[in-house]
Amino acid sequence: MNDTTRDDGRKSVSPLGVVLVEPFAVVRAGLIRIIEASPGLEVLASVASADEAIGVLDRLRRGRAVILVAMGLAGDQDAYWLIRALRERFPGYVILGMGANADPNAISRALFTGADGFVDKNVEVEEFVAAIRASGEDEVVIVGPAAASVGTIAEGIERRRSPTFRLTRREREVLVVASEGLTAREIADRLGVRERTVTTHLARIYGKLGVGNRLAALRLAARSGLVSIRQDE
Amino acid sequence: MRAVVVAAHRTVRSVIDLACREAGVTVVDTVETAAAATEACRVSGPELLVLDLELPDADGFRVLTDLGDDRPRSVLVLADRADGDLVLRALRLGARGYVTKAEGLRDLAATIRRVVAGERVMTPALEKDAMGALGRMARRAREGAEVEAGLTPRERQVLELLGGGSTIGQIASRLGISPRTVETHVAKLYRKLGVRTRVQAIARAATLGLVDL
Repeated sequence: MNDTTRDDGRKSVSPLGVVLVEPFAVVRAGLIRIIEASPGLEVLASVASADEAIGVLDRLRRGRAVILVAMGLAGDQDAYWLIRALRERFPGYVILGMGANADPNAISRALFTGADGFVDKNVEVEEFVAAIRASGEDEVVIVGPAAASVGTIAEGIERRRSPTFRLTRREREVLVVASEGLTAREIADRLGVRERTVTTHLARIYGKLGVGNRLAALRLAARSGLVSIRQDE
Repeated sequence: MRAVVVAAHRTVRSVIDLACREAGVTVVDTVETAAAATEACRVSGPELLVLDLELPDADGFRVLTDLGDDRPRSVLVLADRADGDLVLRALRLGARGYVTKAEGLRDLAATIRRVVAGERVMTPALEKDAMGALGRMARRAREGAEVEAGLTPRERQVLELLGGGSTIGQIASRLGISPRTVETHVAKLYRKLGVRTRVQAIARAATLGLVDL
């Protein structure tokens, strides 16, 4: 049946297209049924991996679509990787993270990497569908058990924003000890590692924080609450 | 169940008192200022705090930041104004309910019951606005991190000094480089921030959280 032949001059509202990225075949099949059964929604494509998702979207010619990304995508190209890649390559599409009993931290991370919202698979079908529709209207939706933790989710985003968040645990330790004004040698003794290791850590810390010296690194670290330094500058 | 009530106006205070009683909550203290509210919470450690945002000595958020982790388990915010950013801020500070005085005072007892039971209470419209604010916040944080990752250490120093109000000449002598070089850094900063003027640069950097104003 060709829809265009029925054009009687009235503009019909085109359905909201959904692209599914879900690694589990059974879940995918269930989601397709649910979405196809919902008026105004249509499944444009459904894939199992990040790679396939990008391939499909490259060929998709749509002004508007909601991409449902399962947070369960694993491997190098996990859900966060995909969300970031989609945000860069297809800025016009809505990206909705989809998890199962996700914690606020996972939601913070998804939003920070570029998701427009988050819906938990552990909600009623109607609620799930309503979340897709609302996100198609450019609303930010957070639906599911973790929705109660909006405050925690916001805190998580803020934390990710701080440059020191990008440091490894060891690098943080080095920086905290360095804030006491010790030499690399003394830091090494304290942490029981070689001096060379400490200087390597420090160089990497400066690189990550984008600073040129220890004082600047400490100032940044102090601002994000990682270390406290005396106010005698 | 015990509550501390904070509101600037006597009428509002008595409405809250009454609603608390109706909801089966004992009001242990009723105060008018942020400072007194903080003190009252520290002294009596109530389970519920009903908090007016518009207080004479500070805004109500101050009470929540001052109490930190010691704030009551249930916090209900009453305010004259409501928008997504205000509600998000309240939620971040541990509030569970947010109602406006214009609309929320009528069924306050029911609201108090729900808040005490652990529910998040606000109108769907406010909830939507708060989510919108959360989305905007996430986008700003992401953009800020991206811009920041693209700055060289030198550019970052220059930006920080610019944000602090230093002139090109001052920046040059502070960093021990020529004014000409500073200007080059500034031009690159403008490009990376996508702006044309110094004021825009500082505003944009502040929005992205790259400098504190």
